[in-house]
Amino acid sequence: MEGVFQVFFSVLSYTSIMVLVVLGLGVIASMMGIFNFAHGEFLLLGGYTFYLFHIWGLPPWLGIVAAPIVVAIIGVVLERTIIHRFYAAPIVAMLGTYAIGMIIRETVRGLIDGMYWTVPAPIVGMFVAGDISVSKWRVAVIVITILVVTGSYLLVNRTNFGLRVRASLENPELARASGISTSQIYASTFAFGAALAGLAGAMMVPLFTLYADMGLRFLIQGFLSVMLGGIGTFEGPVFGGALIGAMASGLPFAVNPILADVLVFVIAIILVKMKPLGLLAKGR
Amino acid sequence: MSNLIKNNQTKGQLTRRSLLQSAMWMSGAVATGLGSWVFPAKWSHAAGPIKVGIATDLTGAISFGGIPCSRIAKLAIDQINADGGLLGRPLEMYLEDTASNEQIAVGVVRKLVQRERVDVVLGGITSSMRNAIKGIIVGRGRTLYIYPQLYEGRECTPYLFNTGPTPAQQCDKLIPWLIANGGKRFALPSANYVWPHVLNEYARKSIEENGGEVVMEEYYPLDQVEYGATVKRIMDEKIDVVFNTVIPPGLGPFIKQLYEAGFLKRGGRLSCVYYDENALNFNTPQEMEGLASCLDYFQNIEDPFSSELQAAYQKRHAHKDKVLFSAGSGSTGMYRGVKLWEAAVKEAGAVDRDSVAAAMDHAKIANGPGGPSEMLPGTYHCQMNMYIAVAKGGKYEIVSKADQVDPKECG
Repeated sequence: MEGVFQVFFSVLSYTSIMVLVVLGLGVIASMMGIFNFAHGEFLLLGGYTFYLFHIWGLPPWLGIVAAPIVVAIIGVVLERTIIHRFYAAPIVAMLGTYAIGMIIRETVRGLIDGMYWTVPAPIVGMFVAGDISVSKWRVAVIVITILVVTGSYLLVNRTNFGLRVRASLENPELARASGISTSQIYASTFAFGAALAGLAGAMMVPLFTLYADMGLRFLIQGFLSVMLGGIGTFEGPVFGGALIGAMASGLPFAVNPILADVLVFVIAIILVKMKPLGLLAKGR
Repeated sequence: MSNLIKNNQTKGQLTRRSLLQSAMWMSGAVATGLGSWVFPAKWSHAAGPIKVGIATDLTGAISFGGIPCSRIAKLAIDQINADGGLLGRPLEMYLEDTASNEQIAVGVVRKLVQRERVDVVLGGITSSMRNAIKGIIVGRGRTLYIYPQLYEGRECTPYLFNTGPTPAQQCDKLIPWLIANGGKRFALPSANYVWPHVLNEYARKSIEENGGEVVMEEYYPLDQVEYGATVKRIMDEKIDVVFNTVIPPGLGPFIKQLYEAGFLKRGGRLSCVYYDENALNFNTPQEMEGLASCLDYFQNIEDPFSSELQAAYQKRHAHKDKVLFSAGSGSTGMYRGVKLWEAAVKEAGAVDRDSVAAAMDHAKIANGPGGPSEMLPGTYHCQMNMYIAVAKGGKYEIVSKADQVDPKECG
């Protein structure tokens, strides 16, 4: 029984992180039609902000709150100066954002001396009951993920802002003709996606340490998640992220870890082949 | 007219031609090397300066090891120059960034041996890097190569001298200590590349010879950061000692998850043979309490020369960043390598490869990080003092010292 709980908790906590990572990537991909390959580095910037608050001696919760704000501001600046030029060409957008990501990554690597830094979580310690011992911060990550996903869902589907975002995606000309400033909408959507990445990065650092390449693995798995779930809806990428997260953390319980790593990709690619538009795709 | 229209249409767009042009420009910039530095000789000599090539990872994933490596090499060379150089000639240091990337490394190392014609090359941190560059240096380059990092052993290439610890040096004393101070049931969780595979072979033999048992040996992708399944297995199998060769980035999360699952509270013992002072950042002190490491140098050993060297390093670099001069990523082997090579050149009275290699075969130094060192003739490896240290409250405590441990390679 304890064994089952531990497997369940382990899978659930990693899945939460994956969902949080994919959320920002998915929002930008679904709502703006481009893949942000600098997403991994937005995670890194969020993590780096959290780390800075730690070394400045400020309360860690403040770091968690500040990370999405800082990354959103950086996101807006990048969107207004560079990324908005890529909207017409999604392939160029991938290459361009990847280049931006590399610049951010190598800059942060310099700032942290290429090292790996542990940063204590805002809540430390474990919940212990008999043989079961679970990290309090992992529990917090699960709760925060549920809140953030619910909040984002409501924002996109139930608010006036969400309506205008969807309108700008479906038909930019008509949206502009109806008095919606699409460029403003794009900037704020991009900032929102960046903020989600910032939050995910800050929450990941206490679990996985801060290092310059932390975004890379999550970018690849995140990209696969979005492909798997399908672009164009809010639910698609979230579902894809959950599926990839669950497979990546669950499979090593059953098979050799090296095989599991490959198997995640094989299963995902087969699924994408069977449903090219994604598991939860809506016709656009 | 039609051209004009076409030009206007393509203006600002990415064409195949412009993409190729920029790709060529970029690859040109990468190939010629953005990260090269020459530290010129301080005085001139009729025979010219002796050229020392340092090729190490100043950028990329291994830069935390390469940066201190390059700095300690510079320090050693400056010290030699301050003492009047070698054979009356000044040393000139040629530093190349191998960028944690074997393809880039091949280019820059070729530049060192073919264009700059350096007299010796020191560097490389990972085994894959050594394997990528050794042929260029000792083969076509006909140059001496010194590899400074602790590694899996079995490198017996002529003209290639290894100055870091081998599996025998790291395991022979540590494994019996772990069995006495941890228990008999071992787990060997490892990153999936050459060093852990070969080291584990040696460790397994040593564990079994000393009455222990390897209960699990597992390999993981190098960038894996989630270890729930592994930790559960370690807890379920009632493992006493985790002999770890998982590397960063997975290392910090793995040790954290073990701690959170209650491995240390249950009395489990952690061990990791490359854990040095830099690795103290990877985890909080309570997560790595009792972790045992075995290396050729720790900051708090009692050796006046080592303390002076550490002070000299810190005087130069402490204000710049937080990467320390430590034993886990090649820095101590780098200093030892430069000084052993200096001793060999002095004995040979020349810098040509064969004379120096013949002297290098039995070169020895009375002082180095961790103590004296001596090449064992015919083995391309050196004996050195080894220390077992245990992490306590975020610091290392030396629990055992072994003098002049045999590398047991190429014998």
